[in-house]
Amino acid sequence: MDAADVAVLTSPPIVNADDLGELIGWTLKPEGLCRDERCVILPDRSVLESDGGVDLAAIAELLDRPCAVDAEAGLVALGAERGQRRGALLERRAPDFTLPDIDGTWHALSDHRSKKKLLVAFSSW
Amino acid sequence: MIAVAIDEAVDTIRNYINNDTDGVSYPVLIDADHLVSELYAISNVPTVILIDEDDMIVHPNWNAYASNTFKEFHGIDADAQLEAIRRWVRDGETMIPVEEVAGAVKDLTDEEERGKLHFRLATHLRNAGDQAGSERNFTRACELAPHDWTIRRASMPLRGGDPFGAEFFELVSEYTAAGSPYHGINHRGVTDHPT
Repeated sequence: MDAADVAVLTSPPIVNADDLGELIGWTLKPEGLCRDERCVILPDRSVLESDGGVDLAAIAELLDRPCAVDAEAGLVALGAERGQRRGALLERRAPDFTLPDIDGTWHALSDHRSKKKLLVAFSSW
Repeated sequence: MIAVAIDEAVDTIRNYINNDTDGVSYPVLIDADHLVSELYAISNVPTVILIDEDDMIVHPNWNAYASNTFKEFHGIDADAQLEAIRRWVRDGETMIPVEEVAGAVKDLTDEEERGKLHFRLATHLRNAGDQAGSERNFTRACELAPHDWTIRRASMPLRGGDPFGAEFFELVSEYTAAGSPYHGINHRGVTDHPT
């Protein structure tokens, strides 16, 4: 997972289907909602449709990602696929992530594969 | 070791590193959007997770400390925790049988999950200079996840409050009254998130 997978989108909650690819990296195809080689089969496209567009909240639900909308600010926040957290909590699989260090250099958990890792979450607050 | 600051205060974190007399030999990452907190269901700091060579979790979310600075406040003995971590690094000895790790930490509730997203919206709007919008989302986040410290306490300095002041003690008291619902294993060695 990287930052692009967990996004704050400057967008109304209802968008033009043609803009989906640019917004979230997934596009609507006849077989369903697709990204690269992956497709989420969609038997009834009308579940996504609303007011002449597609509803990002419905898209999020289809992708099993949480979603929060601030219509006043024109923002939509999409969380990570829940399967990643469930994999950690129920199957012990550590989800990968990529974050910058204080100098802006990016690091991934997976850079340290084959080593024991002590992941320490801390804060200044 | 990989340290992740669930924080946007890069300069403060940089000072921690510069003031560490032993020097810092590990990556210190900045998670301003609380991605790791969402992925691992982290609800407070410090939370420590032990991950093996195959990227499998051998000890889930754990309220472990590096020093006894705040021992009087939380009653946790950091020396024993550090020794347990050393035994794992040195001998591969784990604290919890592997079959008990899965399911030991409760998942986020739908409300807590959405709380994390509203926190993200709030910091985004704060950075964009929209104070009213930011406050609206901080308020919503704290309503949705009143016992998630990565939301409620983390929001205090961002809303002009004091994370070590009266609001902090109010949170401690509410959190304790709710049965200390930490997403992880606390110093008593048990998961105490309410089911």
